[in-house]
Amino acid sequence: MNCQRFESVVSELARGQMMAAELRGEALAHSDACDDCARRLRDEEMLTRGLQSLGTEMESLEAPPAIEANLLMAFRARQAAVPVTVTRRRSHSAYWVAAIAAMLLIAIGVFVFRWTSRPVDDPRTAAKQDAPQRKPVVVESPTPKVLNEVENPNDKLLAETPKPRRNRNASQRRQASPQLANHVTNEIATDFIPLTYMTAANFQDGGQIVRVELPRSALVNFGLPVNMDRYNEKVKADVLFGVDGTAHAIRFVQ
Amino acid sequence: MNLKTDLSDSELLRSMLTGDEEALALLYRRRQGGVYRFALQMSGSKSIAEDVTQEVFLFLMREGHVFDPARGTLSAFLFGVARNHVLRRLRVEHLLTPLNDESEDDVPLIHASSDLCPLEDLTRAETIESVRKAVLSLPAKYREVVVLCELQDVSYGETAEILGCAIGTVRSRLHRARALLLAKLRPVGEFEETGSATVKSARCFA
Repeated sequence: MNCQRFESVVSELARGQMMAAELRGEALAHSDACDDCARRLRDEEMLTRGLQSLGTEMESLEAPPAIEANLLMAFRARQAAVPVTVTRRRSHSAYWVAAIAAMLLIAIGVFVFRWTSRPVDDPRTAAKQDAPQRKPVVVESPTPKVLNEVENPNDKLLAETPKPRRNRNASQRRQASPQLANHVTNEIATDFIPLTYMTAANFQDGGQIVRVELPRSALVNFGLPVNMDRYNEKVKADVLFGVDGTAHAIRFVQ
Repeated sequence: MNLKTDLSDSELLRSMLTGDEEALALLYRRRQGGVYRFALQMSGSKSIAEDVTQEVFLFLMREGHVFDPARGTLSAFLFGVARNHVLRRLRVEHLLTPLNDESEDDVPLIHASSDLCPLEDLTRAETIESVRKAVLSLPAKYREVVVLCELQDVSYGETAEILGCAIGTVRSRLHRARALLLAKLRPVGEFEETGSATVKSARCFA
């Protein structure tokens, strides 16, 4: 062994670290033969003893008891804080659920409100929505002005309810117009008397007025006066039928 | 109670993290001494050592779940945390009171009466004080290996875990640290005569 090799193991040798017996023997033999390395080993051993003394001297040192007390206090405070935190988190989540539920309810409410109060673009829808508020069919008669004059859109709708007539082509309308004019000019009609609970919805798919003749006794059924001198004569009436074939209203014509 | 004292550090830590105050107390009493002494030997300041000890265990309370038993012992984990706190405090303290650095490595702290056996001539208390000062005067990276390997009797492997370096690095740093300590503890006359306490590989090739 040379000094360089000895230098690499001198610390372990002085500290009593585990090393191969052969290596240890060679190192000790070298220190016996080399004064510098012997002194080096001696210094290392003294340093080791000094460090061991320092370590032993400080071995009994411990942190002041106040630190343990502080830590335990902090631990208790932390443990006490944890349930509070959990509770707050739970309450926060409850708030969120409530908020989401409230928002859903508001959204549904707005949707329903908008749905029910949608602008009347579609007459059928409008008729469907407004029908419960409107009164039974009223067609002003007998003057053309009264027939054509509609006080509100719903009345206009009802006035135009017989869809087949509304959908006729121009030639048909030209043929129908004289008849209507004859009716208007030559006949006197009562108001339409509802036979059922009638709404505009009943006529959204169209309707038809059919002229019929009834015995005068039928007037009694509608609370109309009957001339007993002409009791056996027939009376003309216009019956308003829906597309389902149900008679919804009737008016008497003279 | 007796059952808990038999629990390992990891088991006590788990129990502590579930809110067991007794586990914290046991763990603290078991490990506070080493942490406190490490901080004291690293810093030379009781107040820093106390602060660091408290901070280490507060950290354990808050972040104890980050400890992984597969990566090392809880003792090594605590030393690692303490080391970080000590170095941080020393950096702050260094702004106010400069510590000895490598430029002062050659300044001897004690003067022995004998050139050959400087430590033998000192009384035990003087020796201890001299060594303590010599250790404190080491640069941090050498001081920490001396404190861990020499004063705390931590193995090379565990020291490597604590410092986050290879075992070979621990060995070489310790070797260098001991050479520096000898240079500091050697009398001025001999130190000047030998020139340096560092390894003189060409000194002898016998």
